[in-house]
Amino acid sequence: MSRRLPFGEGVAVLILAVVLSPALWLLQMSFRHNADIMSTRLTFALTLENYTALWTGQFTASFVNSLLASSMSTAFSLLLGVPAAYALARWRFRGERHIALWILATRMAPPIAFTIPFFLAFTWAGLMDTVTGLAMIYVTFNLALVVWSMRGFFAAVPRSLEEAAWIDGCGVWNAFLRIVLPLAAPGLAATGILCFILSWNDFFYALILTRTRAMTAPVAIVNFMQYAGWEWGKIAAAGVLVMLPVLVFTCFVRSYLVSGLMAGGVKE
Amino acid sequence: MGLLPALLVLALVTLGPALYLIITSLTPLTPVNPDTAFDFSDPLGNYQSILTTDEFWRSVWVQIELSAVTVVTQLAAGLGLALLLDRPSRFLEALRTGFLVPMVLPPIVVAIIWKILYTPDISPLHHLLAWLGLPIHSLITNPSTAIWAIAAADTWEWFPFTMLMLLAALQMVPKEPQEAARIDGANAVQLFWHVRLPYIRPTLVVCVLFRLIDSIKAFPLIYVLTDGGPGGATQVTNYYAFEQTFSFSYWGYGSAVATLMVAGVFVLSIMVNRLGGEAIDE
Repeated sequence: MSRRLPFGEGVAVLILAVVLSPALWLLQMSFRHNADIMSTRLTFALTLENYTALWTGQFTASFVNSLLASSMSTAFSLLLGVPAAYALARWRFRGERHIALWILATRMAPPIAFTIPFFLAFTWAGLMDTVTGLAMIYVTFNLALVVWSMRGFFAAVPRSLEEAAWIDGCGVWNAFLRIVLPLAAPGLAATGILCFILSWNDFFYALILTRTRAMTAPVAIVNFMQYAGWEWGKIAAAGVLVMLPVLVFTCFVRSYLVSGLMAGGVKE
Repeated sequence: MGLLPALLVLALVTLGPALYLIITSLTPLTPVNPDTAFDFSDPLGNYQSILTTDEFWRSVWVQIELSAVTVVTQLAAGLGLALLLDRPSRFLEALRTGFLVPMVLPPIVVAIIWKILYTPDISPLHHLLAWLGLPIHSLITNPSTAIWAIAAADTWEWFPFTMLMLLAALQMVPKEPQEAARIDGANAVQLFWHVRLPYIRPTLVVCVLFRLIDSIKAFPLIYVLTDGGPGGATQVTNYYAFEQTFSFSYWGYGSAVATLMVAGVFVLSIMVNRLGGEAIDE
């Protein structure tokens, strides 16, 4: 019996190859010498010079800024959002539907609407061009996401377990920390990763609210384009470095991606 | 209570700025002249001049064009692939993850990828077309093609979203009616049109609204590929507000444009909230 791929699978593979080819082109460009970056021949001498140039230049600092701003914002949003999500999942509130709409509106609002007030407030408070300021503004979208998606995960944990703990004299928040949270740990990890990715991917806020000190990696790439005279090799290498963490993380959260991106839009 | 701190912070970082934005939109604020921050002598002045500015209306039109095209192409591509991949097969399941790549890439990386594809000197696309005897000029420096070039890149970036949602919806379609239709001799097209489509229609509607709203926020692609040009051909409303505020320092005016955008997005969000609920209730 021949083991050829069925027709549908063959078509799917072909389409996937076409879809991924632009990204793969960026990857191969990052390993080319600047001299043959214009060439489209697929055989070329591999080099790491673009990556070493980035490592020794300013880019490392931007990369660290991106890491810091994303992790700080993720940590803060989880700290605040997780208890709120638990409360929403366990007790009835008036106006729950309004909270859902509010969260959805936060996810939907155009960043420009937040940028103008934050720019003015940051200038006044001395938070312009700081990683802390950036982490704060990422809370605008991360907190809403945490509350919404963790609510779903907590709702899936059976009530009887905490109720048993309460009867044994365990306080509400004690039972939450010891019983509910560990059971929702996979959801917590997925939510944290999604927050990190969303902050990491941000370009707009960082472009406007940072200058030099707190510049993030995405903004640094654009500066390569505008000020450094089109060093395509370096641009490609920086692009690869910026997308790497996201691709790794995505493998872990694939199944949560939809509900995360639609926070507030669809009932769990 | 655990809810209160989060709601307070959420209010502080969302409602606070929203209020501040509306207040700013009622002033002729410009950072050059700090006194303008509290000048409420002509509160609706910005809105009046917005409505009579051709550039604004043009940006709205460009936005409508871009949104309409990308929503349709993303829906078509997403639905096509979802139908292709919706079969119980380990192999296809593994492929699905590959299709998600464009959507999860940082938008700035997507922008660089397409900048490379659209820059004739280094573009494999341009080289390939020249080799085939069909050389073309740069698409992003030509006012009549720039918007289509952006739309193509945006479609590439976001079709995985519709694909993912529609795949999930297709998998929820009950098996019995499909079996029954097949036994009655329905072909693949009839099966889709009369059996599967009615089930996935609510998801289709939510998809359209989500992509519509997100298309209003498109920024990195336009910033990197065309900078709103050539000659304003790709200047969507979001970009218009950005330029008025941060390039020309018309903060009050920019805030008013942003306020109008928020109002529009809010209306669309209410629709999602209603329809998203229905999609599950049905």
